[in-house]
Amino acid sequence: MGRQPKPRGEASERMRIKNGQDLATGLLFALVGAGGLWLGSDYPMGTAQRPGTGVLPYILSWCLIATGGLLWLKAALVEGPSLTAWAWRPVIMITLATVAFALLVDQYGLAASMLVSMTLAALGTPETRWFEYALFAAIMLALGIAMFIWGLGMPIQVLPKELSWR
Amino acid sequence: MEVAGLFHNLALGFSVAVSLQNLFWCLMGAIIGTAIGVLPGVGPVATMALLLPATYFLPADGALIMLAGIYYGAQYGGSTTSILVNLPGEASSVVTCLDGYQMARQGRAGPALAIAAIGSFFAGCVATVAIAVAAPPLTKLAQQFAPADYFSLMALGLVFAVVLARGSILKALGMIFLGMLLGLVGTDVNTGNTRFTFGIGDLFDGIGFVPLVMGVFGIAEIMSNLTNAERRDLLSSKVSGLMPTKEDLKRSVAPVLRGTLLGGLLGVLPGGGAVLASFSAYTVEKRLSRTPEKFGTGAIEGVAAPESANNAAAQTSFIPMLTLGIPSNAVMAMMIGGMMIHGIIPGPQVMEQKPGLFWGMIASMWIGNLMLIVLNLPLIGIWVRMLLVPYRLLSIAILFFCCIGVYSLNNSANEVLFIAFFGVIGYLLMKLDCEPAPLLMGFLLGPMMEVYMRRAMLLSRGDPLVFLQRPLSLAFLLTAALLLLFIVLPNVRKVREVAFSE
Repeated sequence: MGRQPKPRGEASERMRIKNGQDLATGLLFALVGAGGLWLGSDYPMGTAQRPGTGVLPYILSWCLIATGGLLWLKAALVEGPSLTAWAWRPVIMITLATVAFALLVDQYGLAASMLVSMTLAALGTPETRWFEYALFAAIMLALGIAMFIWGLGMPIQVLPKELSWR
Repeated sequence: MEVAGLFHNLALGFSVAVSLQNLFWCLMGAIIGTAIGVLPGVGPVATMALLLPATYFLPADGALIMLAGIYYGAQYGGSTTSILVNLPGEASSVVTCLDGYQMARQGRAGPALAIAAIGSFFAGCVATVAIAVAAPPLTKLAQQFAPADYFSLMALGLVFAVVLARGSILKALGMIFLGMLLGLVGTDVNTGNTRFTFGIGDLFDGIGFVPLVMGVFGIAEIMSNLTNAERRDLLSSKVSGLMPTKEDLKRSVAPVLRGTLLGGLLGVLPGGGAVLASFSAYTVEKRLSRTPEKFGTGAIEGVAAPESANNAAAQTSFIPMLTLGIPSNAVMAMMIGGMMIHGIIPGPQVMEQKPGLFWGMIASMWIGNLMLIVLNLPLIGIWVRMLLVPYRLLSIAILFFCCIGVYSLNNSANEVLFIAFFGVIGYLLMKLDCEPAPLLMGFLLGPMMEVYMRRAMLLSRGDPLVFLQRPLSLAFLLTAALLLLFIVLPNVRKVREVAFSE
């Protein structure tokens, strides 16, 4: 834990957030809990003998809110790590790569979706060397088609519908 | 239990495990496990999640034998990277870096690798016998459980997961609640109402276990690993002469024994598993040693004990999963997922209804350990070469296997979108320093607890006191409460001190 001693003794010290990470986590838990309560408000509760659909969501949502609250309390009292910056580039590119595969695979076949998805993922890190990547992509493509379509017999087309021979 | 029964069971197990097909899957599991163990940034949980869809095409016993092999295989492989590169190949091999890498720098990588493998093998053999001995009586006990007892046992399991989690207790607690809530998404089997589906058709059957795990463990890990540029200082050239000296062996005997015992015990605890075991074993050795100052400078005890412990724990953590159907950690959750794919409901009935599968899996662990020691020692050079594949390429391969793996489950492109969503969620949780393992346990145990809660309430005609009236249930709940108290009190005191000091 990268805790850093902070200068003490100032009057504003007491009001400052000492623990950004716990605060954010508490907020997340409380929000999900509140959402659960709101969405689950019309689920039937049933009887004690036959507990209904809504019982566990209700209990769990309150438990989450309570945990969130305790985390806030902790954030106000105890020093802790603050939030660190997101690495946006890999997060965005890897997400895009996954989404691209999902959107393309049915319509345009395995080859196209793999190429687009892998290239997007390669854009996720500055370390990519493009010649090396091209070679690797070709191997992966051959391997993917051989393993999943010929080997396991998955019902995916290799090429886009218009070009497909199947 | 009588010894004859034990032999009978093991004989049955070996007859299943030595079939050519199962030997092959065992070998596959061992190879894949070693490979991912060697590679930093690829863990057994993500790999098992990747392979879950593929196991659909295998027979049930072959699938489970392979999945099990991946877990304990990863414990072997993880030590290789720790010793040669000073990077833990697995979380459970973190402490092996301390002394293993120092030994490698002194040109003693060979003996370090050998002791790690021998210790792991010994621990694996002992743990296999421990499972075989402990499983039948525990199963007998479990058959007498009423719904209330099950509910309380699962509650105790979740409390254990909180207590033993690394880092913040509150966060682990929140992750469990979050996981349970996620587990409730979909159609309520008792009443037919849908919960939290947002009208999305793919959610009516609930959130899939595989997309959730692949997102939170696979995709999120890629995102986070790509952020950190890696440096690997390979000491492979120095692997010469595997044989440890007599002195090495003499010094390792006691640490291996203690590591096996400690690891075996910690492995059974929910939330424990291999990581906790290796850390504890290292600490114990250092404390018991007459020369604690040598630890961290290449003491062979510091390799022998944690490596034995993590393998013992990896195997004994199967005990609660096999006998009670309760996952004690994320990997066991994955095993349960594997069982469910084949229509096997985990629990005490598995041993009676599928004795071949049950004992075959246990016997395969011993065979797998034997394979691993052969795979790891003479073939070490091949594994080391794998480290030359840079993560920038590995990440693309993992991503592709995640996508196609999830797609192949139901030929549903929407489920691939789910892994993108859970990937971002997983990354967020990682940034908040929230461990995903408790989330997974909550996700699996939440719906099970609801079922048992309902059965118990029905049987007791709506009297919630049933959870306190059954002695077993009461004992579980009291243990859970004590554990919570034990862990909360010192923390409360700490917070109070801070609060009042200002």
